[in-house]
Amino acid sequence: MALKEFMQTLTKDGVEGELIKASLVSLSASFILLGIFYFFKLRYIENFIPKYGFYLFFAILGYALILPSIRHVRAYKEFPCMSGMMIGMTIGMMAGFLSGFYIGATNGMFWGSVFGMAVGMFFGAWNGKCCGIMGVMEGLMAGFMGGLMGAMTALMMFNDNLKAAGVLVFLISAVIMAGLNYMIYKETRGAERKHKDNEFFTVLYSLILTGATILIAVYGPRSVLFQ
Amino acid sequence: MSTEEYTEIKKSTIYAVGIILLISVVGYFMLKGSGKNTIGGLAEAVPNGDPQEVTIGMKNYNYYPNTINVKAGRPVRIRLDGTVYGWPQDILEFTPTQPGMYAFACSMGMGRGVLVVE
Repeated sequence: MALKEFMQTLTKDGVEGELIKASLVSLSASFILLGIFYFFKLRYIENFIPKYGFYLFFAILGYALILPSIRHVRAYKEFPCMSGMMIGMTIGMMAGFLSGFYIGATNGMFWGSVFGMAVGMFFGAWNGKCCGIMGVMEGLMAGFMGGLMGAMTALMMFNDNLKAAGVLVFLISAVIMAGLNYMIYKETRGAERKHKDNEFFTVLYSLILTGATILIAVYGPRSVLFQ
Repeated sequence: MSTEEYTEIKKSTIYAVGIILLISVVGYFMLKGSGKNTIGGLAEAVPNGDPQEVTIGMKNYNYYPNTINVKAGRPVRIRLDGTVYGWPQDILEFTPTQPGMYAFACSMGMGRGVLVVE
């Protein structure tokens, strides 16, 4: 069965076997950066952990889901149109939604949308180009919608169970990204790897995303309601 | 199972365990204090004096009045008149302790106002 084979490839050498390692590298890099920021600056901010801890933690977990999938796509480089569209749409939507949600929860809908759209559209288009212009367009549209919806959802949950929604959003996104990895595996079974990103790729993007998230959440502009 | 397969499984198990450990340890520190929602100036306080009564309505698609001035240390009672929809109770009571300006809004961020605690 393909799913069972996929689970087995996660433990072997090869493109799929690097997914778990990439998650660990991303988490480690992000948490180290957060630790450095915290030691030098953030611990002096009043109520830093109660105000921002939850959202930063889940934002970092979200990036640890997205970056290994991006590496997975880049390893095979080219996909049929439909698969490429699915890749662009999924990565764009998830990257946009997660980052938009957690920044929207700390900075308000406008800045959450801007950040979510920027992240979602960038990763969606970048990965969607594996199948040409259609994948790029799908990635842009999905990143745009995901970023907006993520921030909107956070604002609408503000007087409701916002943190429970944050956990739910993360868990559902994890299942979807796992599904994407499985889809890529099924589409590329027997295909040769065309590109290998070393760990520097994962570390670099983890640091950029985590650094931007921390700076915007803590020091960035925010809506009136979040002053 | 060959030695190579055993080594591969061992590596991925170590990575997975590493992920779980990292998430557990960092999550403990990041989430342990985040259950407390302390809104500055609205922590428990001993009410002192008669409640300051305010009635809020809707006018021109916004709360009216949308700037409310109250004194710190005295209980505040905010009533909603018949023009405001969606609030499960008609009265909101609290005692602000810390002077400052506090923004408030409806859950959609459409109706907004400022509570000025002096």
